[in-house]
Amino acid sequence: MDDRKAAMNAELRYQDYSLDDEEEAVRATFERFFRVECPSSRVREAEPVGFDPRLWEKLAATGAVPDPLGGDAGGEAPTLVHLALIAEELGRVLAPVPFISHAVTARLLARVTSARDDGVPAGEPITLAHRPVTGTGRQLVPDAAVCRSVVALVDDELVLCVSGRPAPHARNQGSTPLGDWGVSHDMRRVRLAGGAEARRLHELALREWRLLMAAALVGLVRGALRLAVDFAKTRTTMGVPIGALQGISFQLADVAIAMDAARHLVWRAAWFMDHEPAQAGQLPGLAYAYACRAATTGAVSAVHVQGGLGFTVEADSSLYFRRSKGWSLLGGDPGVILTQAGAQLLAAAGARIPEAGTPVVRGLPQ
Amino acid sequence: VNFGTVALDDPHQRFARDVDAFLAAHVTTEILGLERDSGDGFDERLYRALGSRGWIMPRWPAEVGGAGLDPLSAHILSVKLTASRAPLNPLGTTRMVWEAIERYMPAGWVAEFRPKVAAGAVRFCLGYSDPEGGSDIAGAHLRAVRRGGTWLLNGAKMFTTGAQNCQYVFLITRTDPDAPKHRGLTMFLVPLSSPGIEIQAIRTFGGERTNAVYYTDVSVPDRYRVGAVDDGWSVLHTPLDQEHHVGQETDGLQDQSLGRAFLRHLEAAYTAALPWLAARGAEETPSAPSALCYRVGEIAMEIEAATGAPGAGGRILGAETTIRGVAALTDLVGVAAMLPRGVPGAIGDGEIEFMHRFAQGTTIYAGTTEVFRGIVARQLGLPDLDLPGRRKYLRPQTIPQR
Repeated sequence: MDDRKAAMNAELRYQDYSLDDEEEAVRATFERFFRVECPSSRVREAEPVGFDPRLWEKLAATGAVPDPLGGDAGGEAPTLVHLALIAEELGRVLAPVPFISHAVTARLLARVTSARDDGVPAGEPITLAHRPVTGTGRQLVPDAAVCRSVVALVDDELVLCVSGRPAPHARNQGSTPLGDWGVSHDMRRVRLAGGAEARRLHELALREWRLLMAAALVGLVRGALRLAVDFAKTRTTMGVPIGALQGISFQLADVAIAMDAARHLVWRAAWFMDHEPAQAGQLPGLAYAYACRAATTGAVSAVHVQGGLGFTVEADSSLYFRRSKGWSLLGGDPGVILTQAGAQLLAAAGARIPEAGTPVVRGLPQ
Repeated sequence: VNFGTVALDDPHQRFARDVDAFLAAHVTTEILGLERDSGDGFDERLYRALGSRGWIMPRWPAEVGGAGLDPLSAHILSVKLTASRAPLNPLGTTRMVWEAIERYMPAGWVAEFRPKVAAGAVRFCLGYSDPEGGSDIAGAHLRAVRRGGTWLLNGAKMFTTGAQNCQYVFLITRTDPDAPKHRGLTMFLVPLSSPGIEIQAIRTFGGERTNAVYYTDVSVPDRYRVGAVDDGWSVLHTPLDQEHHVGQETDGLQDQSLGRAFLRHLEAAYTAALPWLAARGAEETPSAPSALCYRVGEIAMEIEAATGAPGAGGRILGAETTIRGVAALTDLVGVAAMLPRGVPGAIGDGEIEFMHRFAQGTTIYAGTTEVFRGIVARQLGLPDLDLPGRRKYLRPQTIPQR
């Protein structure tokens, strides 16, 4: 009876997944931009590093790339919903540009006033080290092979590290500009924040990174699915197109269903982070975990439906497959994110929370 | 994209309180308990009380029995009715069928029935599935043969849920067995009091009561025909599209899909299970600690994803997430999840035990998930499989026996 009353008194919210005029304009603009500027030949040419400087310049010229100095042209910085729309279009064509790393790091820097004066090299992409740095330990940092500037959590301080040149490229399955990066003495270091504030800013940037990666993965599934659907429409077996057979069509339907669900979940998470961050809760992490799963299964199905041909290097589906994990793994194990989300939800339902602040379910090893 | 709170002005706040007061007075614990035991889906007094407020057809003007509600008020009413779990099964089917009646029946007929429907005195159920047909409703076998000014009906329908509580069944019949499958169908609104109709209760293990309805030489005057002879498929599409949530305008308030309604059942089980799990922790539950957290996170993820999933895909995800999610909750809770209402130790008054059974219907009713996967596949542009019975009416191998 209490549950019923609680449900009846729950606040009423809009469930509006339609794009307003501005959002639709962003979507349409970048759908066209990436379609025109980034055919799959361009993706292949950018391998193995996975960076196309000309494409990056063109993208920056559109004004879509957030300015780390917080002085975005036109006054208003793009919202996460807008950035998610752009990231999806980017993912659809596997555009080899460090847009996501740059966008979230720029947003982070724009929140920290000291960065404005101490200067980030203008016009260059910047990136974020995901794992905290202790000492001179090295880590694989997304996009660090093409970025001289890396923001990292170093010994509990948030630091902008600027080097003379980007980190060495670590060749990887996803053909991303993964950099073998570590703090060194010849870097110019700018302290941005310390202690709890540093951790908060870093965690927020990671949340945004995962959210935008989730959006890009939705696009990745869309691109892979289109290839598989086109193949299934024309390839025949026993006198019918294979796409008419439920063994194929249902598999592809499931890919589409997960993709559509992931997209809407990303939009909802993005909206809450934009407008009511305190209410966003577990949504960004859940969106990331769900999109990772959708990308993994979607890319696998897209290859599988095309049979041996989909397994060849010549098939564009190979590009999608290699990035389905190559991109998403950079954000951490979705299993850990789900475990943390579950612990938080159990804590909110009354599980004990010790003073350290980490919610613990009884019996969970400390 | 907008998920902001809906600001309610004073009149809407008053209306919300009014609905709360109505539900508190009419949706009693007794009614809810009876519903859990009977699965009847209906309480006449409650239904009539709803009608007396004009809330069966809340958007209709008061002159014809509605309440003249604006869209937001109607949404508030709908949300609160759903949350109250009031047994109001005929409401959905009556509203669906009315769409077809308004479009296809003569003006006099519509004018006569409108106030009765709005008051709750006249209710409609759906006679779609043949015993051999299931979700392939265009393959209906139940025969209607014209005899002058009347039609003679013979055959049977399964899963006519609510037949025991309704006055008319919206019946799909085969009027031309030689025409292509979709062209030989005719719709009727058949009075359930007609001689020759026999309603037989069928119990589902989800706890709901549905019916098999047998039609033996049932005579139906031609004026109960809905739409043109052999044009039943077009007539059917009006309410069917509504049932499938196809092509509806949205004002940003409505659920994304039919699946959202299914998910509320999973959420009820989740709401019952979570505090129980949190209070006991992994030491007293069958799960390992990190596995417990992981699976709770996974269930939450699937609920959130299915909640926003649009259209036919949302209907599938809503159902399959509900089934998977309740099953996962039973794993986490352990054998206590299998204790029904009334048994000492039952969680949330047997909520999980009930939902575990109830969930299984969600991939089946209102069209199986296979039907909807087919819809998604066509939306992707994949070709249809040209099976023998896709366009051609195939006569049954056996005639259903009573």
